[in-house]
Amino acid sequence: MKKKSSLLPLLIWCGMTIITLLPIWWLFVVSMRTRVQLFGRPSMLLNGFYWGNYIEVLENEEFRFYMWNSIIVATSNCLLVTILALLATFALSRYKLAAEDSLFFWLITNRMAPAAVFLLPLFLIYTQWFNLFDTRIGLILLYGVFNLPFAIWLMKGIMDGIPKELDEAAMIDGASTFQVLTKVIIPLAKPGLAVTAILTWMFAWNEYLFAATLTSVEARTITTGLAEFVSVTGTNWGELAALSMLTLAPALVFLGFVQRHIVAGLTFGAVKE
Amino acid sequence: MRSPVTGWLFLAPTITVLAIFGFLPFLYVAFVGFFDWNPFAANPGLVFAGVNNYRRLVFDDLFLRSIGLTLQFTFWVVLSELVIGYLLAQLFMRDFPLKGLFRTIHTLPLLVAPIAVGASWKLLTTPGLGPIPYYLERWFGIDYRMGAFENQAFITTVVMDIWHWTPLVTLTLLAGLSAMPKEPIESAQVDGANRWQIFWHITLPMLKPVLLTTIFIRLMDALRTVDEVWMLTGGGPGTATRYIGLHIWRVVFPQTDYGYGAAMSLLTLYLTIMLCWFLYVALVARKPRGS
Amino acid sequence: MNRRGLLSAAALAVLMSTTSFNAFADDAFWAKAAEPYKGVTIRGVSESTSSSNYAKDVLAKEFSEKTGIKIQFETTSWDQMYDKAIKDMEAGSGIYDFVYIEQDIIYSYLSRDFLVDITQSLKDNPSIASPTFKPEQFTTFADYFKGPNGDLYGVPMEAFLKTYLYRTDLFEDAAIKEQFKAKYGWDLAPAKDHKQYREIAEFFTQYGKDNDLELWGTTVQASSGHPASFYEFVETIAPTFGVYNWGLNTDTWAATVENGGTMNSDKAKAALNWWVGNLQYAPPESTSSTWDEVSATFSAGRAAQAFVYGENTAWIATDDTRSTVVGKVGVALPPVEPGVMEEIEAGKGYIGYYDGGAFGVPHSSKNKEAALLFLQYIGQDSVQADWAVNAARVTHQATYDDPRVQEQDQKTSGYYTLMRDQGKLFAGAPAFPFHGQLREAIAPYFYDAITGKLTPDQALDQAAVRAEEELTRLGYRKQN
Repeated sequence: MKKKSSLLPLLIWCGMTIITLLPIWWLFVVSMRTRVQLFGRPSMLLNGFYWGNYIEVLENEEFRFYMWNSIIVATSNCLLVTILALLATFALSRYKLAAEDSLFFWLITNRMAPAAVFLLPLFLIYTQWFNLFDTRIGLILLYGVFNLPFAIWLMKGIMDGIPKELDEAAMIDGASTFQVLTKVIIPLAKPGLAVTAILTWMFAWNEYLFAATLTSVEARTITTGLAEFVSVTGTNWGELAALSMLTLAPALVFLGFVQRHIVAGLTFGAVKE
Repeated sequence: MRSPVTGWLFLAPTITVLAIFGFLPFLYVAFVGFFDWNPFAANPGLVFAGVNNYRRLVFDDLFLRSIGLTLQFTFWVVLSELVIGYLLAQLFMRDFPLKGLFRTIHTLPLLVAPIAVGASWKLLTTPGLGPIPYYLERWFGIDYRMGAFENQAFITTVVMDIWHWTPLVTLTLLAGLSAMPKEPIESAQVDGANRWQIFWHITLPMLKPVLLTTIFIRLMDALRTVDEVWMLTGGGPGTATRYIGLHIWRVVFPQTDYGYGAAMSLLTLYLTIMLCWFLYVALVARKPRGS
Repeated sequence: MNRRGLLSAAALAVLMSTTSFNAFADDAFWAKAAEPYKGVTIRGVSESTSSSNYAKDVLAKEFSEKTGIKIQFETTSWDQMYDKAIKDMEAGSGIYDFVYIEQDIIYSYLSRDFLVDITQSLKDNPSIASPTFKPEQFTTFADYFKGPNGDLYGVPMEAFLKTYLYRTDLFEDAAIKEQFKAKYGWDLAPAKDHKQYREIAEFFTQYGKDNDLELWGTTVQASSGHPASFYEFVETIAPTFGVYNWGLNTDTWAATVENGGTMNSDKAKAALNWWVGNLQYAPPESTSSTWDEVSATFSAGRAAQAFVYGENTAWIATDDTRSTVVGKVGVALPPVEPGVMEEIEAGKGYIGYYDGGAFGVPHSSKNKEAALLFLQYIGQDSVQADWAVNAARVTHQATYDDPRVQEQDQKTSGYYTLMRDQGKLFAGAPAFPFHGQLREAIAPYFYDAITGKLTPDQALDQAAVRAEEELTRLGYRKQN
């Protein structure tokens, strides 16, 4: 009985893997082809190892710089959002605050508007009021607007699931609020924090529209670099594909770190332990 | 001791960030929506227009079409992802070799930047460049040309989104399923209930909060889709995949119709909130059956 | 022998010393003029094309070395470049010190007075006026960037023609020529009118099928969701049928025939029907093809004829790392309807698109002088030839005579000769301050014509009505 039931899932997953990997595999194949080889009867197989596209991209110091910017922006935003979300959900969970539900709802609505809506006012704010145009800090703060609601939503359930009695026990022992946070809450919230961290990081790493509009040369991120390949003199698909593959790499590394916690952390607090 | 002041203090940074970078732009957009403003019109300044922009929107064919398309897209995408995600999550509940590996592979699409997702699917589906048109023709005799056939383009965007976001649904539902207590199911099985009855009366109600959350997240994001579709079809053929996120972008930027675009944005935001609220009431208002 | 050798050596020495003296003198000008601005950083935005990339990678670096002025040169996609430049100038935020001005948007920019008058600024500020920057050396393309007072508002940095390309190897193949003559009754040669073009397209598509080749008769830039298709129709196809300026009446801004426009005239309908009809003889990717893909299609050998933007002609004909049809490319004037050529030569119309762009300085720039220095630097005659060879663009008359350019000319079957001699038949985009806005409003009808949702006739009728609506709303069109 056991053996039979494990064959079907295996088969299904093999099929799923092929479907899942198809676009990524194709990106890889394209990245290994010269421009001349791109058109014509498409072959799914690698017909040679042409590293030229990767070399072009890696040797280009601009792209290395964009990659670096992306790393800084994504990681900083991830830290900022995780910490802020932790504090915010702690407050929402442990303190009786007026208009709590409305506040929560307003937080979520920030994530509902189509991106194009905010591009113009943000451009004006970034250039006229605060000198944030083409700065990394500008992007880091902006991504907070999209990531904070998501993070708070994720963390709220986790936070609610940590019994208040533990807090109280610690405070009776003389712990300050700060110590309650660090010694009691954080260790128990680890899976939630891990998931929040990675999803936040992913979003910041992959974001395109705002990065393209609000940066120019100094704070350019790697996703905007992708768009540069599309030009009148022919889209350089090979290099675009190579860059896409390279963009995937750090994300994979990060995923490796927080893999184990993902499933536990993703309940959005909808499931009570 | 637990004074609200400390609580507000903890919330302050979050509220500050959101107020400056989220609320302020929103006020600006709300304001501009009452004006006619196009830097390349004969009068390039702000001309007060009252609710005229909103009135125009109600009769704007292109806008209405875009909304309709977006709703259809969202419906198909969310439904498919839920069904597929649920089935895959159930599969993950079982034991089989290399389960961990498969789960990691399954998560991969989530990691790819949306714009790269659009690019990879464009590469896959462009005749002459990609394998899909070629093999569809060869094996099934289908003339697959997204640039010429509206249905094909629509279906491709749906498939692309399913490919991209199902893993999120799978993982979230898996989290919910894992945390579910096993006893109710086991006792139901002992009582002789079949698979469907167990699913409908036990699993579903217990899973409801998780399901709801997933639906909302996917709903909000699907309604806002831009990067991937823009890269894949540019909104084409014609306007067949010009979903509302893309349409607003076109009106505000290439067409520089700031006033009209602002009104459109606000109306879209309003519709999105209404939709979410409506869903929430419809799905949550019913009391859970069974126990 | 010996004396001659001595003389030539002496001549060479004198030549070298004078050139290096000149170069030294030039450099001295740049260093001196830039002294007050040393250490300043200027920022510019442009499209990510080979011309701009050359300006960024080579010219900007040279300039920075000579002057100490740093340049942050942002190259990005076509859409983004416009968005950001317009937003910056509109808001007056002073982010960019120089911006790319595509030829079709100059009128919008001039109508909003976004740009600095370069001629006037150099007059007012002689210390930054370079002796090697001579506006009279530009080709007539520079006229597009002159304001109503004749002053220059942009320094041309690239210019090309969108030409008719064809495969010389196919057209000159004896067997093919025989087959063609047998079927159609005239000798195979680049098409002179639209009927001929069609017949050639039909022939080669059939030829491709019969011989199991990935070959079709023509390209069509028919991306059904991107303005590139709209542009091919209004810039390249319609004029050859005698429909100019998008079919608008430039006095009243009427578009429909009833009101005095030509957008839905019989000629326009003939043009759109012809163009959309070409799709059956074009490769399947045509309905997803913007300007990029068309050049890629032709360079991959998939079409016997094509309409391609000039900047691609050079690499298609010479670069074998990117093109499979090196040495097989012919250039010709596009086919026209009878009577159109006479109209054009009488000055009433044009045969196709004279594309290109310039760099200009926004009023909002905070480093105008430094930016003007850079613009003059790239406008010098001395940098043109290398730039031309690298990016197939010509903005100075003298560039045509440079030996390296002439060499490339041979390899591209005379693209530069065509541009020099027949360039006057081509024109840039019409003088519309509402260029982008109108395009966005009416392009969807053309997309529908491509997908077959509307017939070409219906598409033009509806587009013309919509055009008049939009122009009225924008405040340009006064009712008849």
